[in-house]
Amino acid sequence: MKMAAETKVGEAEWEVKIPEKKLKDRLFFENLKAMVIDTQLCSRCLTCVSICPGGLLVNEEDVVDFPDFEDKCLDCGACVRVCPRYDYKPKSGLGDYIEFTAGQSKRFKGQDGAMGTEFIFSAMDMGLIDRGIFVDRDEQWRTSVFHVRGKEQLEKLPLGGTKYVFADILPELKKAVTFTKKGVGVVGTPCMVSGVRKLQEEFPIFKEKVKLVVGLFCTENYHYAEVSKYLIGKGVDFSKLIKTDIIKGKFVATMTDKEVKFKVAKLDDILPSGCSRCTDFTAVESDVSVGSVGSAAGFSTTVVRTETGKEVWDYIKKMGNAEVGEGKVEELDFLINHKKEREKNIQL
Amino acid sequence: MSGMKKVVAPEYNLSDKIKTHAYAIGTAMEESVYPHTATVLYPREKKKMPDNFRGYILFDPDKCISCFNCSFVCPANAIRMKEAPNNRYYPTIDYGKCIFCHFCIDSCSGGALRTTKIHDVAYKDVDEMFTSTEEMIEPPEIIREDKKSVEYVIDETDLHLKRKKERDGLFVEAVPPVEIPMVSQCVDRGSCLACKICERVCESGAASSVVEEATMTVKMAIDAEKCTGCGLCVKECSMQILRLVRVRK
Repeated sequence: MKMAAETKVGEAEWEVKIPEKKLKDRLFFENLKAMVIDTQLCSRCLTCVSICPGGLLVNEEDVVDFPDFEDKCLDCGACVRVCPRYDYKPKSGLGDYIEFTAGQSKRFKGQDGAMGTEFIFSAMDMGLIDRGIFVDRDEQWRTSVFHVRGKEQLEKLPLGGTKYVFADILPELKKAVTFTKKGVGVVGTPCMVSGVRKLQEEFPIFKEKVKLVVGLFCTENYHYAEVSKYLIGKGVDFSKLIKTDIIKGKFVATMTDKEVKFKVAKLDDILPSGCSRCTDFTAVESDVSVGSVGSAAGFSTTVVRTETGKEVWDYIKKMGNAEVGEGKVEELDFLINHKKEREKNIQL
Repeated sequence: MSGMKKVVAPEYNLSDKIKTHAYAIGTAMEESVYPHTATVLYPREKKKMPDNFRGYILFDPDKCISCFNCSFVCPANAIRMKEAPNNRYYPTIDYGKCIFCHFCIDSCSGGALRTTKIHDVAYKDVDEMFTSTEEMIEPPEIIREDKKSVEYVIDETDLHLKRKKERDGLFVEAVPPVEIPMVSQCVDRGSCLACKICERVCESGAASSVVEEATMTVKMAIDAEKCTGCGLCVKECSMQILRLVRVRK
């Protein structure tokens, strides 16, 4: 334990600025519900759930909810302070970047080049962070979130990563921030990246402790219950599943004995409303974005955006932790535009 | 071998020989009538223990500030903090693990833990050795068979047992700890949510908040004069930005 610092009596006052309520005389949660959840804008990034000191949660229908908020809501306004969609300024395009490249990790195996994992562990080797938030899934595709503090822990997470299913990363990030000594690294979808940036904007503790934010290229995610029901209906057997991919507009699920293919557009029926209003494909606010599109098979396209991201990328190259490939910017255009078109769904 | 000393029997003159023989005969006669024992006849008699004997540990919840120090310091990992109905965390001891180092008592800043001279507690199984907070408040049920207390006395020539027809008290007056005045303080004010949880849990009215509708600000304050340093707000703070800090006199 740290030695307590000495202090003088009577210097313990401070002020907290709270946001203006759009709906006066209502609780902040009711504001959030009216502006974001009921308008179908909510991306289920769970930034609000992570920060809420009361009882914000994800209900059985996989929607952000606050049962008996009349009693439990503390009306602090933290949820609307951090919600990336409360005052939604949709971001799109490729965003600013320092380097557009591709990589294939020599240490880890993943769907493509496993560069998300590589970035987190290289940052850990550099001493930038001491823990990373990882998502694992079970054989039924249900996700669970882990705090990883060393490579050996990763060996116990055999499947690794999520596949088009929401994961509750940010509530774990909040816990990690209170535990960590050096810093935390996190891999998330564009909405989560925006959530982390909002948290950093509002609360210095996140600015200080969240050191590396790796964004994933993301078209959409699905609610677990809906996508599993749909895929089982299409003949996908989760226990035999090897990999899933979206290739040229087709969803391909490769199993040990067969392959199931169908048009991605067919999944539109179960496309979550929050994703249908999301225009950010490349996670423009991240330190580094990684994804499959834009590089050769076995490589992850890597978009280095910030100085922190650049430092880690340089370290990866210096240590030879990854094979450097070639990224093709133009290959991303289709999906960037595909997501930009979703702007029309947003009615503020 | 050089350096080795030859041991020679001391030379006794006649009067010395008579004296030592008489002493030996005297001791033999004394022992035949009233034999001494070198061992304590437990449980009919018990050895007198020193006041700082490291025995069974008792707990006073009123003095506990739920600082977790005892559980952090325990080298055997025998102490676990459990949440009580009043929302406070209190220690429990697993005597299956406890090594009786009493680091917990030494580290207890409120003086809530104290030692006793109880050392002979019997358990039927390992599970029973887990002692809950409630069981630590009162001493265990004791059936005392001892009538005498025994002390070892070492004089110039020998070690003797000194028996007294009175029982040794099992409870020791705890030495009051040197009080270190602590107050709760916010170490990262920028990260405060103004959720007012500290105000809700504060029992002494030290934490307060005032909402100013006009400027949309919340004035938070922790009055160091009123703060008792109980640490409840530190534990409950949703951002974990409160710390107990020492008061400078």
